[in-house]
Amino acid sequence: MSGFLDFWAGRDLWVEPMIAGLLAGAILGYLGVFVVLKRMVFVSAALSEISGVGVAFAFYVGSLVGIDPHQHGAVPLLLEPTWFSLLFGCFAAFLFSLRPGHRKLAPETIVGLGYIVASALVLAILNSPRIAQEAHAVGDILFGNAVTVPRAQIWVLFAASFAAMVVNVLFFKELLFVSYDPETALVQGVGVFRYELMLNLVIAVVISVATRAVGALPVFAFTVIPAAAALMITERMRYTIALSVGFGIVSAAIGYYVSWVEQLPTGASMVVVASFFLLPGLLKILRRSTI
Amino acid sequence: MELVRLEHAVIGYRQPLLPPLDLAVRAGTTLGVLGPNGAGKTALLKSLLGLLPLIAGRRVLPLSRAPRIGYVPQRDRLDMSWPFTVLDVVLMGRARLAGPGRPYSAMDRKAARDALGEIGIGDLADRPLYALSGGQHQKVLIARALAAEPELLVLDEPTSAMDPAAERILLELVQRLKQAHNLSVVLATHQLTAVAGFATEVAVVDRERQLFEVGPAAEMIDPQRLGRLYGREVRVAQLDGHTAVVVK
Repeated sequence: MSGFLDFWAGRDLWVEPMIAGLLAGAILGYLGVFVVLKRMVFVSAALSEISGVGVAFAFYVGSLVGIDPHQHGAVPLLLEPTWFSLLFGCFAAFLFSLRPGHRKLAPETIVGLGYIVASALVLAILNSPRIAQEAHAVGDILFGNAVTVPRAQIWVLFAASFAAMVVNVLFFKELLFVSYDPETALVQGVGVFRYELMLNLVIAVVISVATRAVGALPVFAFTVIPAAAALMITERMRYTIALSVGFGIVSAAIGYYVSWVEQLPTGASMVVVASFFLLPGLLKILRRSTI
Repeated sequence: MELVRLEHAVIGYRQPLLPPLDLAVRAGTTLGVLGPNGAGKTALLKSLLGLLPLIAGRRVLPLSRAPRIGYVPQRDRLDMSWPFTVLDVVLMGRARLAGPGRPYSAMDRKAARDALGEIGIGDLADRPLYALSGGQHQKVLIARALAAEPELLVLDEPTSAMDPAAERILLELVQRLKQAHNLSVVLATHQLTAVAGFATEVAVVDRERQLFEVGPAAEMIDPQRLGRLYGREVRVAQLDGHTAVVVK
């Protein structure tokens, strides 16, 4: 009980990161349903990593011109890591929306290449002597140890989430159709490239912004775990979406609380809590399995 | 009246699959595309539909607009794990008619349910997709195509993995829909009997032999011609008004 009272007493400290976590859990829980069903889980990992390159790159550019992009308020708008994160994420989303049509270069290969190159770039930039003193700050952003979130980032995340929901409410039926059966959608005159790009851009923007706010690890987890957990126990799209959003929100809230009380890394705690939601589905699978 | 035409078309995935071909789909006809597995039937269908760019030649739309097409893809290419009901899938056929940025209207839902009823599976509307048998899934895809109010119904291997009775029932359903809705039909299959009794025109394709021939069904369902296609002796017989084809 004293743990909760301590937590409540410190609400001025956690209310902003908590809001950011809840927003990220909700919107990524929703988008994750598309990510998991389209079997593009690795796309979200790659986008998350590529957005991370944007953040690291912003620090690197900042070091070149003698500005620390982590000093909020003292950074020129163009050097804000969020812009770099968005730019890199959207460019990757555009590339991933193209169908290479190459016999030996499957879309998964391109996504894998993006992930590998992005991971290497993040490592290279973080270990650059130019930003050695910033490496810890960048690492917090990338790996989810950030426990404070500036209010401006919450607004950016809210705006990105709102835009994503507007796109999804308006074009939900088209996004479902082109995601499920792009060939038939194309035959019927529904613009597959247009809607796939729209969905990928929305995912990229939300991932980029959320990565900056709550870190890469929980962002990747929120795009996969809540949706996977919901899909295992539901048979209707509307229930899948509702449960996935719910799992994302609850994972963020409880994860943050546990990290506060137990002094654990915030992002990792959120992911561990989210993982518990997989249990009902796994039990369902076990009960159905026969020897 | 032609709905879509290929002129001197070279089709294939970067490499030509068949010799240059001319093919037209005429209103009110049933074109059967016949050939062994891997003969290039699906590539030909995709070229007709505009899904696969031609290597050479051109695809012509004589109506000066794309005909409304109801497409029934090979069902094993679709993911059954999506949490859709049967109605959700059939409603997709209404996506273009509903208009971009608009949810499905009550009229769209009625049209989708009507399509299911017409196919004879109206009672499955709320059933999860994963709970369907192969034959039921095939009918759902036909209902979706029908919900699109097509002029042209294109079916890719609709009877594959079906037993003969189910195959017959499905083909009779397609025939009934064709008459009821004044449809043109293109049907790709490797099953001879599927084409023999239903097609008015037949295109025979075989990538191995670089063969493409098209003509009236009466001429094309010919023992010698089919024998060349399959490299085996073929017999064609009439039984109680039905055409039976036997590859020996």
